[in-house]
Amino acid sequence: MIRFERVSKRYPGSVMALSDVSFHLEAGEMAFLTGHSGAGKSTLLKLIALLERPSGGQVFLDGRNLAKVSRRQLPVLRRKVGVIFQDHKLLSDKTVFDNVALPLIIAGVRYQEIQKRVSAALDQVDLLRKIKTMPLALSGGEQQRVGIARAIISHPPVLLADEPTGNLDPDLSADLMTLFCRLNELGTTVLIASHDIALIEQLNRRVLVLEHGGMSRVEMSRSG
Amino acid sequence: MVNTRKQRRASRRSRNAGKALAIRAWARRHGYSFFSSLGALVRSPLGTMMTVVVLGIALALPLGLWVGLKNIQQVNPATEDFSSISVFLNSGTDTVAATQLAAAIQNWPEVDKVTSLSPEDALTDFRENSGFAAAVDALTENPLPWVLEIQLLEAAVGTAAESKTQFKQQLDKLLIRLQELPGVEFAQYDLKWLERLHALMDLGTSIGRLLALLFGFAVIFVVGNTIRLDIHNRKEEIEVMSLVGATEAFIRRPFLYTGFWYGLFGGMVAVILVSISLALIRSPLDRLLLSYQSEFELITPGFSGSLLVLLTGGVLGLLGAALAVRRHLQNLNPT
Repeated sequence: MIRFERVSKRYPGSVMALSDVSFHLEAGEMAFLTGHSGAGKSTLLKLIALLERPSGGQVFLDGRNLAKVSRRQLPVLRRKVGVIFQDHKLLSDKTVFDNVALPLIIAGVRYQEIQKRVSAALDQVDLLRKIKTMPLALSGGEQQRVGIARAIISHPPVLLADEPTGNLDPDLSADLMTLFCRLNELGTTVLIASHDIALIEQLNRRVLVLEHGGMSRVEMSRSG
Repeated sequence: MVNTRKQRRASRRSRNAGKALAIRAWARRHGYSFFSSLGALVRSPLGTMMTVVVLGIALALPLGLWVGLKNIQQVNPATEDFSSISVFLNSGTDTVAATQLAAAIQNWPEVDKVTSLSPEDALTDFRENSGFAAAVDALTENPLPWVLEIQLLEAAVGTAAESKTQFKQQLDKLLIRLQELPGVEFAQYDLKWLERLHALMDLGTSIGRLLALLFGFAVIFVVGNTIRLDIHNRKEEIEVMSLVGATEAFIRRPFLYTGFWYGLFGGMVAVILVSISLALIRSPLDRLLLSYQSEFELITPGFSGSLLVLLTGGVLGLLGAALAVRRHLQNLNPT
C-alpha cells in the first residue's frame, strides 16, 4: 500500500529531514513510526499524504508513483489518505459538525447521508454530544478526537496519525488504539507516528524507527 | 448473444447511473459553495455592507447618467414647434406697414400662416406673464418691436424628422430671404437650443460610456481587493480544505460566488440609489421638461434595466474575484 524507495527530503535552507528511507507497508497492515522528535516522522507522513514532494527517491501509494501524479489528480488521491494532524488543523469558525463533514462536502455527498455519517463518526470518538460546539470550546483531547472523526469519516483506505495520543489521558489513548485496531481489522492500512513507547508495546505490530532522518531499523514492538 | 447484449445494456445503465450520480454530486458541491458564500457574507454584515455600498455608488453613477439622458432624450419637440420663424421688424414700424408685410409673406408658397403681434400686445403679454409688471409700468415708451410669427407649411419645407440637414438648409434659405425684406430687423428660428441640447446629449452619452468603463474597472478592482483580503483571512480554511482533498476548483468556487454576490448586491444598491434620486428630483424635472413638451413621462431603470444592472454588477464582481483568485490561490499544492 505504501512503499518508500530510497526517499530523501531536504527543506530549503535546512538539513536533511529524511535521507535514504526505504520500507514497505502492506495493504491492511498497521504499523508504528517512532523516533525522537525531529527525526522526520512528520515529514514522512506528509510525503505519503502528498503534502510534500520528496527531494529524492520514490514514494508509492496504492501502486501509484506519487511523483507522477499531476496537480489535477492530487486532491482525489489525497482523499484516499485520512490524516490526523498533531495540531488538529480544525476550522475554528465552524462547528464540530461542519469540521467533521468537510471531506464529505468536498466529495459532494447528500446532506442526509452526511448527517448520518458525521453522527456515526463522532459517536466512534465519543463526542456526539459536542456536535454543535465550536472547536475552540473543546479541550485539546477533544479537538484531537474531532480531527480523528474527520480523518475516518470518508473511510479512506489509508489512515495516518501524527502523535494521535499526544494530548490524551491513558484511558482515552487506549480507547483510541482500540478504534485504530478496529479500523485496521476492517481493512484500513494504518500508520501511527508516536513516541508513546508504552502504548506501542501493548500491541504486537511492526515499528519503523527513524533516527536523524534515516530509517535505523524495523522491529516488532513485542519481541517473542 | 442475448447474454452479451443484456450485459452491455446493464453496463450502459450503470454507466449512466454513475454519470447521474456524478452530476448530482457536482450540483451538491455547487449548492454548498453557493449557500456557504452567501452565509459568509451574511455573517459579517458590516464589512459586506460597506463593500456593497461602495460598489453600489460606483455602479449608480453611470446608471444615473444613462437614465438622465434617456429622460432628456424625450425632449424631441414635434416639427411644428420649430418650423416657425420669428421676424422682428424695425422699431417704429407702424401698423399699416406691418400688416402689409404680413400679407406679403402670407403669399409665399412655404408659408402656412402669419400671426402678427403688435408691440402693445407683446408688452401686455409680457407684463402679465413675466412677473415684471412694475418694471414694465416704469417704462415711458414701448421698447418692443412688431413681431411676425411665421408658421411654415410642412409640405413645402419637409420635416426635421425626415432629414435634419436638408430641413435646416431650407430654413436658412428662408431666413435670408426674410431678412432681406425692407423693414425687417432680423429673423430667427428656434432650432438652436435643440441643436445645443443634442450636442450636449451626445457629449453626455460619451461621458456616460467613459464613466461606465471607468467605474466598471473600479468594481472589478474593489471586488478583487476584497476577495484578496478574504483569501488572506481564510488561509487556514483553504489549507485544511486542501489537506482533506478539496480540488482547486472547489476551493476557488466560494470566492467566485462571493465576488458575484458583491457585484449583484452592488447593482441592487445602484438601482435603489438611482430610483430614490429620481423620486427626489421628479417634480423639478417634471416642470423643466413640461416647459418644453406637453407630454412627459419619467423614465426609470425599469425591470429589464434593473436586471441588466444587477447582472452587469454580478459579472464584474465575478471578474474581480477571478482576478484575485488567479493571483492569490496559486501554489496550494507542493510542486
